[in-house]
Amino acid sequence: MVNVMDNPPTPPTDAPDAPVMRIPLRRSPAKDLPPSSELVIRAESLTIRYGSFAAVRDASLEIPAHRVTAIIGPSGCGKSTLLRAMNRMNDFVADASAEGKLFYRGDDIYRPGFDAVELRRRIGMVFQKPNPFPKSIYKNVAWGAAINGYQGNLEELVERALQQAALWEEVKDKLHESAYALSGGQQQRLCIARAIALQPDVLLMDEPCSALDPIATARIEDLIDKLKSQYTVVLVTHNMQQAARVSDRTAFMYLGELIEVNDTNVIFTKPGNRRTQDYITGRFG
Amino acid sequence: MTAHFVDLLDDLRRRSLRMAGLVEEVVKQACEAVFQADPEMAKRVVQRDADVDAEEVEVESDVIRLLALYQPVGSDLRLLCTVLKVNNDLERIADCAVNVAERAKHVDARTLVGPYEDLRQMGPLVEHMLHNAVKAYGSQAVNDAQRVLSEEDAVDALYGQIIRRLVADASASPAKIASFLDVLSVAKNLERIADHATNIAEDVVFVCTGEIVRHRTH
Repeated sequence: MVNVMDNPPTPPTDAPDAPVMRIPLRRSPAKDLPPSSELVIRAESLTIRYGSFAAVRDASLEIPAHRVTAIIGPSGCGKSTLLRAMNRMNDFVADASAEGKLFYRGDDIYRPGFDAVELRRRIGMVFQKPNPFPKSIYKNVAWGAAINGYQGNLEELVERALQQAALWEEVKDKLHESAYALSGGQQQRLCIARAIALQPDVLLMDEPCSALDPIATARIEDLIDKLKSQYTVVLVTHNMQQAARVSDRTAFMYLGELIEVNDTNVIFTKPGNRRTQDYITGRFG
Repeated sequence: MTAHFVDLLDDLRRRSLRMAGLVEEVVKQACEAVFQADPEMAKRVVQRDADVDAEEVEVESDVIRLLALYQPVGSDLRLLCTVLKVNNDLERIADCAVNVAERAKHVDARTLVGPYEDLRQMGPLVEHMLHNAVKAYGSQAVNDAQRVLSEEDAVDALYGQIIRRLVADASASPAKIASFLDVLSVAKNLERIADHATNIAEDVVFVCTGEIVRHRTH
């Protein structure tokens, strides 16, 4: 599993940062995209437990294709647990268990005999902290495809993935240098390129900008906006402005419960639930 | 959002409501100036317009500052947008009141007989509409706001009658055209005040429900 590599060595903090980029003022609203009736992921009364503790309770949620769906909520509300359930990353937690149904393109991913490894190839993940392998930029992108038996031209695949991740121009002349020489923002885009190289269907992003400065954050947000034309994106973020800026749909979770899911525009202007209203306006607790 | 922001929002709302109260009073005085032929009252209306203008600038600055510093969402965003829009309506109402008051020295209240009684009726009706719109703005009560929206037709009907009468009279007595234009100016400005009161009521519906009800038949 290429994209699963928690706790990598800390990257150098004095790495050159990305060149200053114009912060985009307008992102593509959902209304500019073709209507998406195609559901990629669907949770039905999903409960995820760690031992006896239910981190997610009775959640039902639909993730439409080619949209960015943001999951927001206070710390400990279960949003990362729900995200990790979508490609069965919770399998790596010893006492985690799931009840209910979670469908990926109509197939229940928690049914006995389901191929979780193939699922994780189709549903890639980008983590909070950039976690490149201690290898060259090229190998970071190529390795996953290579070990998965990719038969095409690896160099073309690497270039395409880096271009899609808006990193190619910055690294094309140093592909065989260490990934650790990149700035934090560049490393995070490299991790996105690494996920893209496996030609996934869905990208799960768990607070992908929380370790980045505002300029690097703007570049990732711009990238997410571009990626949705080819991929379906599910994003967990603590940053409500980020959810408002980049997502088409927003789900609000609180204490393990999925409180409200709606178009982002509705959630941030006239939410239907009092708890959503209190959370987005900071009146919680 | 911090409790500090909530306090600032409350302060801003109170300030906007104080301005609304001031504008209500200015409209009342403008009507008195015309219908009781009181030139001193007319002068006071003109003087107080400067206070309204200064307050409008202060409220607008506060809204922009809160938007920039706190990036509010949900009901807070709706409230700030509404304060900004109501602020503009209130300033325009005060301008209309000045226009009405400035006609005081030209409109002879004694001539407002017969069909022109409609103009005398418009004053209290418009004052009533504005009062209810400001009351709805203060209490953020959708029902009160919707009542204001339903009152606009009565003002428009009176305005239409006055116009029809003016057209007929001006054709019959062209020498009195200046007087007719004074009456027209008062009627037109009162009708505009009613329009702005309607805007405020529509904004109250928006702040309460998130629904934009402008340009709908109420």
